[in-house]
Amino acid sequence: MDVSCPSLYTPRDARNLRIFNGWLLGAMAMFVAATILLTKNFVAPVPIGWVLTVATIALLALAARAYIVFLRDADELLRKIQLEALALSFGAAFIFMLGWRLCERLGAPKLDVDDPFIVMSVVWALGQWTGFRRYGMRGETAP
Amino acid sequence: MDRIPPLRHARGDGAVNNRLRVLRAERRWSQADLADRLGVSRQTVNAIETGKYDPSLPLAFSIARIFEMKIEDVFSPNGTGP
Repeated sequence: MDVSCPSLYTPRDARNLRIFNGWLLGAMAMFVAATILLTKNFVAPVPIGWVLTVATIALLALAARAYIVFLRDADELLRKIQLEALALSFGAAFIFMLGWRLCERLGAPKLDVDDPFIVMSVVWALGQWTGFRRYGMRGETAP
Repeated sequence: MDRIPPLRHARGDGAVNNRLRVLRAERRWSQADLADRLGVSRQTVNAIETGKYDPSLPLAFSIARIFEMKIEDVFSPNGTGP
């Protein structure tokens, strides 16, 4: 998403989106660092491992909260686009999860717990792109 | 099983007609000017003008107030004017 594009976002939306992106980037960096440290046993004392885990979860919760604030305050068309994209991604992940369970019985590789999340993220991004195109200004001139 | 309803806003066949483009042109406002006054994005103004999106009731009232008109002078059900 191009946060700097003034035609798609009001200044308030752009600010809220920057805040969300900031928390999300922080949370993902913390997640990667915590995963590496915990996997390689760099943090031997158990309490430090728990601190890393709780800190990562807290950052993810803050990112989720920032997204909810962004959504609640968003320009009404932007909110519609976001909600349609979320519905699409949730539906795609749900279908993927249940469908793949059946495929496993037919010999497909076993589903990893992260796989539906990847499907959800990709479809969410696609849904936003589709929404911006559907309600966008293709062929329209301003003013 | 019921069919999923078509995306009626996607082809410019929204349920509401509006005179936004005309009223804006009369005042020599750009889409960005109107968007600033309404506190929405320019994409929203464009989508309303082109009939891809019908505004919420609060936004429709805000639009009417900005043009100093009654809401029914700006918006009307599809097929009836204004």
